[in-house]
Amino acid sequence: MTDAETGDAESAPSEVDRASDVWVFVEEHAGDVMPVSWELLTEGRRLADDLGDDLVALVIGEGVGDAADEAIARGADRVLVADDPVFEPYRADPYGTQFRELVEERVPSIALIGGTHTGRDFAGRVAVPTHAGLTADVTELDVDEDGQLLARRPAFGGDVLATIVCPEHRPQMATVRAGVFEAAEPDLDREGDVERVDTVVDEAETLTDVLERNVSDTADIIDADRLVAVGGGTGGDLGPAAELAEALDAELAASRKAVDEGWIEGARQVGQTGKTVRPELYVALGISGAVQHVEGMNDSEVVVAINDDPNAPIFEHADYGIVGDLFEVAPRLAASLEGEADPEEVLQ
Amino acid sequence: MSDTATDRESSAAESDDGWTVVVGVKQVPDSDEVGIDPDTGRLDRANAPAVLNAPDRDALEAALSIRDAVGGTVTAVTMGPPTATDVLEEAVAMGCDDAALVTDRAFAGSDTWPTSYALAEAVDHLGADVAVCGEETTDSSTGQVPPGIAAHNGWAQLTYVEDVDPLPEEGRLAARRDVEGGHERIAADLPVVVAVAYGEFEPRPAGLHRKLYAETDFEPLELTADDLGIDADDVGMDASPTQVGGMETVDPVDREKETVETPAELLDALSDEGVIAR
Repeated sequence: MTDAETGDAESAPSEVDRASDVWVFVEEHAGDVMPVSWELLTEGRRLADDLGDDLVALVIGEGVGDAADEAIARGADRVLVADDPVFEPYRADPYGTQFRELVEERVPSIALIGGTHTGRDFAGRVAVPTHAGLTADVTELDVDEDGQLLARRPAFGGDVLATIVCPEHRPQMATVRAGVFEAAEPDLDREGDVERVDTVVDEAETLTDVLERNVSDTADIIDADRLVAVGGGTGGDLGPAAELAEALDAELAASRKAVDEGWIEGARQVGQTGKTVRPELYVALGISGAVQHVEGMNDSEVVVAINDDPNAPIFEHADYGIVGDLFEVAPRLAASLEGEADPEEVLQ
Repeated sequence: MSDTATDRESSAAESDDGWTVVVGVKQVPDSDEVGIDPDTGRLDRANAPAVLNAPDRDALEAALSIRDAVGGTVTAVTMGPPTATDVLEEAVAMGCDDAALVTDRAFAGSDTWPTSYALAEAVDHLGADVAVCGEETTDSSTGQVPPGIAAHNGWAQLTYVEDVDPLPEEGRLAARRDVEGGHERIAADLPVVVAVAYGEFEPRPAGLHRKLYAETDFEPLELTADDLGIDADDVGMDASPTQVGGMETVDPVDREKETVETPAELLDALSDEGVIAR
C-alpha cells in the first residue's frame, strides 16, 4: 500500500497491522552457516504458513551467495542479501545498523535470530532503535489466533516456562536457543527470489576493528548421537572421558564449571548458557546436575550419570546411575566396550 | 550533604587524568532460594534473600582493573528500589570510588528496553568512557541490557569479553571476546559498553577499611527519571514492548533413576535400550 492510499495519519494502519512476513537471520561466518539458522528457517516456515505470510531470510556477510541459495532450499520464499566486505568478519555495529535499516524500511511481523553469542550481541542494536520487543533464549514458538507470536522461554533455571508476548510493537523479535528445533532437509527444487539490498554501513563510520580472529574448534555437539560430558568432578583430567568417548564413538561435552575452569572449549558447553542437546546417549561424568545444566540435556534419549556423590542431583535426571569414582568406572567402561565389541559395530 | 558533594566533584576532576569507568550491577533474588507458590503457580521471589548478581563480580573486577591500568575513577550504578543500595555498598567495599542509585517509581515494570534506556542515560550522565556490565543477570538471563545501553547511546559494544586491554594513547579499548568456536581480539572506540564473560575475572576481596566505609559512612548518589531527563512515559511498563503472557511450571522428564553397580551391568542396560550394540 502506498502512502497515497493510506490517506492521512489518523486513518493510517498501525505498525501492528502494517507489519507482515516472518524473517529469519542466517548467521554466516567465513563461509560457514551456523546450524541454528537452518533450524530457524524450518520453524519459521511453519509459522509463516500458519500466518499466511512469506518467509524471508536475511543473509549478511561477504560472498554469501551460496548461503542465500541454500536459504531458499531450506524454506525461504525470499532472501535479502547484504553482501559487502564491511560485514566480514562479524561486528555488532555494522550488522545492527544494516539489519535495523531493513527492519525500519520493511517492518516484518516476526524476526528470529539464533541465540548464539553473535545473535545475542547484535539483536539489541535492532530492537532498541525500532522499539521492537525482543525475547531472549526462546525454546518454543507459536502464533495465537490473532497472529501474535507466543515466544516461550525457560525462566528461573528451567522450572518454569514463561510465555512472552509483544502486543503493540513490531517486529516481534526473538533470539532462539540453538539445537531446540530440528532443521528440515534442503529441497533443491524449491524456488524463491534473491534480492541484493544496498549496504548502508560505511567502514569509516564503524566503531570497532577486529584485530585478530581465531576460530578453530568447530565441534558441533548438537549433531552428535552420543555425548560424554565432563564436569567439576573430573578435576580437569579429561583423559578417562576422552577414552570413553572414543570407545563410544561419542563427542565430548561439558558443564559450565568445566568450561569456566578452562579445561575445555566453550563450544562444548551444555546448558542454559551453552547449547541444548538431545543425543541418543548422554553420559555425565562428574557433573553435579545443576538445573542450568540439566535444562540443556533433558531431552536426551538415555542419560547415564557417574558420580561419587550419591546425593548429586544428576541422579534424579538419569536413567542409569553408577555411584563411584569416575577415574575407575570410565576406564572400565571403555575397556569393556573395546574388548567386547568392535567400536565399528557399536551402532545406534 | 556538602562534604559528599565536594568528594564527588573532586573525583570527577581527577578523571581528566584517566578514564571514567561506570560499572552496572543488579540486586537479584538468590537463585537457589526462589520457590514457586503452589497456589498461584507464580514465582515466590519475595521470600528469597536479595544478593548481588554473581556475574557482576566479574564486571566489578574488570572495571577496577581498567582503573588500575589507566587511572581515573570507577562508579557503580544500579537501578532499583532504595534497598538496592546494599549491592552498591558491596561495590564500594570492593574498591569503587563512588556509586549511584537510579531509582524512580516511573521505572517500575520496565522490561529490557526501558531498563537499558534509563541506564544508558545514567552512564552518559556520569560521563562514562567505559560502561562495564556482567554477562547477564541470574533472575532474567537475557543478556540484553549491555547491548541495549550501547544501542540507546549509539556507542560501541563488546560482549562475552574475557580480557580487557585499555589503549589510552589511542582512545580505544581492546578486548578478547569469546565467539562461537574460538576467540577474537577487537578494539573499540570510546565510549564503549563492555559485557564481561561470567567466570573469566577473579574478583578481588573487599578491603576491611573500605568495607567499613561502605557500610557506615557511604551514601550513594540518587538519580531520578527527572535528574536524567527521562520522560515518565518513556519508561516503565507502558514503554515495555514485551509482556509476560503466562507462566507454567515444567513437568520433570520421566527418568528410570536406576542405580547399577558395575560397568558390565550398565552396558547390558544400554544394550537393552538399544543405544549401544554388544
